[in-house]
Amino acid sequence: MTDNSSDNLYISKVDWNSKEQKDRLKKRYLIERIFKGFAIASLLSALVALFVVLASVFITGVSGFKETRITLDINMDERIVGDLSSMSDEELRRHIPSINANQMIINALREKFPNVTSRREIFEMLRLFSVGAQTEIRNSLLNDHNLIGETVTMNLKASSDVDMLIKGKISREIIEGDRKISDQQLQWIDQFIQEGKIIQGFNWSFFTSGDSREPELAGIWSATVGSLLTLLVTFVISFPVGVGSAIYLEEFAPRNRFTDLIEININNLAAVPSIIFGLLGLAIFINIMELPRSAPLVGGLTLALMTLPTIIITARAAIKAVPPSIKEAAIGLGASKMQTVFHQVLPLSMPGIMTGSIIGMAQALGETAPLLMIGMVAFIVDTPSSITEAATVLPVQVFLWADSPERGFLEKTSAAIMVLLLFLIIMNSLAIWLRHRFEKKQ
Amino acid sequence: MFKKPTLKKIGIGLVGLSMITIAEARDQIRIVGSSTVFPFSTAVAEEFGRSTGFKTPVVESTGSGGGLKLFCAGVGDNYPDITNSSRAIKSSEIELCASNGVKNVIEVKVGYDGIVLANSKEASQLSFSLQDIWLGLAKDVVVNGEIIPNPYQYWNEVNPSLPNSKIEVLGPPPTSGTRDAFAEIALEGGCTAYPEVEALRAKDNNRFKALCHTIREDGAYIEAGENDNLIVGKLLANPGAIGVFGYSFLEENSDVIQGSFVEGHEPSFDNISDKIYQISRSLFVYVKKAHIDSVPGIEEFLNEFLSEKAMGDFGYLAEKGLIPLPAPELLIVQNKADNLISLKN
Amino acid sequence: MGTFSLFLILILLMIIFFVLGKNKSLLMVKSNIRNLHSRPVHYGYSVGINSFIPGFCILAIWMLSEGYIIDKLLISHLGEKSANLASFELTNLLNSIKEYFESANPDPELLRHVEYYITTSERIAWTFFLSAIAACCFSGFRTLNNIKPDINSRNNLEFIIKIVLVIFSVIAVITTIGIVFSLLFESIRFFDQISITEFVFGTQWSPQTAIRIDQVGSSGAFGAVPLFLGTMLITAIAMFIAGPIGLMSAIYMAEFASDRIRNIAKPLLEILAGIPTVVYGFIAALVVAPFIRNVGEAIGLEIASESALAAGIVMAAMIIPLISSLSDDVISVVPKSLREGSLGLGATKTETTIKVILPSALPGIVGALLLATSRAIGETMIVVMAAGMAANLTINPLEAVTTVTVQIVTLLTGDQEFASAKTLSAFALGLALFITTLALNAFALYIVRKYREEYD
Repeated sequence: MTDNSSDNLYISKVDWNSKEQKDRLKKRYLIERIFKGFAIASLLSALVALFVVLASVFITGVSGFKETRITLDINMDERIVGDLSSMSDEELRRHIPSINANQMIINALREKFPNVTSRREIFEMLRLFSVGAQTEIRNSLLNDHNLIGETVTMNLKASSDVDMLIKGKISREIIEGDRKISDQQLQWIDQFIQEGKIIQGFNWSFFTSGDSREPELAGIWSATVGSLLTLLVTFVISFPVGVGSAIYLEEFAPRNRFTDLIEININNLAAVPSIIFGLLGLAIFINIMELPRSAPLVGGLTLALMTLPTIIITARAAIKAVPPSIKEAAIGLGASKMQTVFHQVLPLSMPGIMTGSIIGMAQALGETAPLLMIGMVAFIVDTPSSITEAATVLPVQVFLWADSPERGFLEKTSAAIMVLLLFLIIMNSLAIWLRHRFEKKQ
Repeated sequence: MFKKPTLKKIGIGLVGLSMITIAEARDQIRIVGSSTVFPFSTAVAEEFGRSTGFKTPVVESTGSGGGLKLFCAGVGDNYPDITNSSRAIKSSEIELCASNGVKNVIEVKVGYDGIVLANSKEASQLSFSLQDIWLGLAKDVVVNGEIIPNPYQYWNEVNPSLPNSKIEVLGPPPTSGTRDAFAEIALEGGCTAYPEVEALRAKDNNRFKALCHTIREDGAYIEAGENDNLIVGKLLANPGAIGVFGYSFLEENSDVIQGSFVEGHEPSFDNISDKIYQISRSLFVYVKKAHIDSVPGIEEFLNEFLSEKAMGDFGYLAEKGLIPLPAPELLIVQNKADNLISLKN
Repeated sequence: MGTFSLFLILILLMIIFFVLGKNKSLLMVKSNIRNLHSRPVHYGYSVGINSFIPGFCILAIWMLSEGYIIDKLLISHLGEKSANLASFELTNLLNSIKEYFESANPDPELLRHVEYYITTSERIAWTFFLSAIAACCFSGFRTLNNIKPDINSRNNLEFIIKIVLVIFSVIAVITTIGIVFSLLFESIRFFDQISITEFVFGTQWSPQTAIRIDQVGSSGAFGAVPLFLGTMLITAIAMFIAGPIGLMSAIYMAEFASDRIRNIAKPLLEILAGIPTVVYGFIAALVVAPFIRNVGEAIGLEIASESALAAGIVMAAMIIPLISSLSDDVISVVPKSLREGSLGLGATKTETTIKVILPSALPGIVGALLLATSRAIGETMIVVMAAGMAANLTINPLEAVTTVTVQIVTLLTGDQEFASAKTLSAFALGLALFITTLALNAFALYIVRKYREEYD
């Protein structure tokens, strides 16, 4: 009883309603609120970072999908074009690129602005148009030979400077010398605008053409194909090797020093900076094996080694998660260990393995640094058709454009980033979808 | 490495397995070399790809020296066909080429280019004498008749008329032809203003060259790699810095950067082509004759480079800032290129 | 008859032998599978693989030895002419024969060798081609003949598969060895020219060396201290920001947030983690650096546009999700009983977190922070695009610094010359980077593992 009463005494000594205790409680709740506030603020600041990244890419990039065109009446002068009707297809293919479309634009401009005579002025006027405008004229001839001798109203691609002006990225306010467009050019542009001859549309060529020194002509198609070829090599190597070694380590490997070594090694390899893999690729694949520089083959091999640990680790986790009862049942029915693995364990762990592989591939798709080491930064216009041809990839294209001083490349960079992010989101959603689908089946 | 031959064969095997027969020749021109010529050769490459049936050449910026080194490494698919250079090939490089079996090299002069010292338009426009440039950038300088390590940290210490800003120059590395030409014209021009240096020239030419051409290494001169675009970007980011590069990059970016006066003359198209602006040099393209038969399109590429629509007064190269060859000189070069006349040792 | 077409033919033969093997096994037992030791496909696979392996070995020998054999034959054909040539002259001569281009006035002597080269190389190719197919067929038919119902072909097949799996799992080890060797090999060449003490303790970095004998360049200075210091500075800024933010976000999501918020926030953080670093670099140069510079101007501070601060902040954004997901993992491993015990005694959530959960998760959190540090040290694109190039020896976050990775990229893009100290120094830097990150990572994994064992 004495014990009990002393306990009571002790408890009664603390007066929970006293000011002291109330203050203490208040302080504790205050700390709770402050702490929670900090925690929320932290999470919010992380989300703000995400928002800033996405918003600034979107704001600068959305105009990159638009292009400016100038309407002009082009006279398909037979003297310039030549006689197309008598030519064979092969001759046409050779002749068409040599047509002096520049002269046709000059003639059209002379007709439109009769009082412009000096060469310098015509030259300035010509600079309102992209060099791609000539290709457009030639292509229209290639598609329809009957145009010869006729005057065709064409919407020709404007130069990047005009494009920037129309999009409001070049200010009219600044003085002439600091502006890429002269006052004279501005007058002509205003005249075109008044006549409604400047139109904006969707920039299809951004998706169909390769790199270019002219921002208005630059596109992501060859970089996209380069990325796909590189990823193909990466996948073909890292998937079987990664899954194979995961199976071995998880199901067959005896517990000994050697397998411990492999395990530690894989975990450490996962944290090696990507640029080190670039150095490896440069030293081994290019210098010693003498594989072609800038080729998706080398890029893919390098990235395969880089993604290998990711795939092994996730595949092992997926294999580990298969219930032992299934394996035991299979072995009990007379299946060999190998049969159990390939017929029971692997199909069941496939969703996990696929998810891991897709995440590894997404990582490889966004990687830039190791590819800089192996020469994928050259100026490459053509779309690669095999894995040994020179190619560049999307993130490297982003890097190259981001470094270009021309103002027109800024929006192209952001637009290319948007496409890259879209690919990454698609891949990740695919991973999630796969996981769900397989989970349902089970 | 000791296993080199074996690993190399494995490499060839990998290529073989990747759906390409080994024997198949490259059908795409590969160009390396000067970052100064890079904007011109890419423009020509692009137009060449667009207006002919050939594949667009792959152009990589490696610097004139680096390019010639790769170019001279040998004949065959793994070696570049063309190298750009912002200086003439040196005799040591011709020897290197010859020792690797690259015997016939065609030299094509494509134009002139000025070397400018530029800064951001946010800062004030500067005016240098060649002497200022040498005093600001050399490793050792002459002070009161004595040769001492460069003590200057601020431009106004070099010349009171220059602003009180830290000497911070972004320039090309030794692989660059711009660096060579800059040393030979600007730095040497500045250091020969001193009689004691001039006296040294007669006595000990090597010592003279070392004194005049060696650039300081204490961080005031920053080697910015073979990417002149990057230098322009860095200048915009840092208005106190000065960049050294070819005129074309100034022309391309005239809305954001400005060229400094040198010896009282502004770097402009006319000043450079009239040779009033002192720091200017010729640009070259070198072609491996042995490749002309095996890689398609090399001759056509040269023709495109020297054509009227590229080289003419209003050609697309002039638009990019190349100062074209005067008509009579162009004719000689075109003739030389047409007949594929190669350099003599 | 290239190597690739041979490869295709071998694959085709393998498929044919597979079908033959499978059918034969069925035929032997008259489709009564019970009498077979293994399943029919096992017989098929085993015949197929047995036919493929010898053919493939010959193909491999072909690819490895073709050049060597042809060179030897050509040299013997050249006879005396080759005997007194220097090795590089001989290589040139051989190359001019192999890569002969037609010219107007050919040298008849050379032409003779070229013809010899063409006929021999064709003969060699045919020899290998046919012998590979022959070996394939021979081995295939032999195994096919040996098929008997009681042959244990499942075990044979599984043995081969197991060997393939072992080879696969060794590839990761080979990669590491490859990294170590390629870095070490080039680094040793570098340290032949530059002393290690200068590299590790030197305070001046200016990797300019003459590339021609007749060029007066610079002597070059290879003191890596400014690079390491710059890397450390940017990493420290990033960790200083990302450490608390990442940890607190993890605590919030694990201890405070409702399921709904967690389900929204977690994928968003995953998106942040999945953004390519080149995008972060772009944002750093485009948005963050000018912003910081403007803020600095407004309060009268002179901030370099490529300040370590800008790169550090953006790098922080990159590693926040890494820290938060790793710490989330270790926090959720803390047993529920500890948490409930503390709450049951009347502690607030904050008190529980600070006094119970964090102490028991501490080793794991330290491990997470170390992993994040190693990631920040090795990050390349952000600093390439947003940090400076000048090797300033400073710890002022408002100034521009350069990092190890920036220098590796600057040294190795474009010019490649594997004899100069300039290019080789990139590999020495790579080695230093590799050792640092490896040490950090191994230490982090050690801590995490030790901690996990306590609760398992």
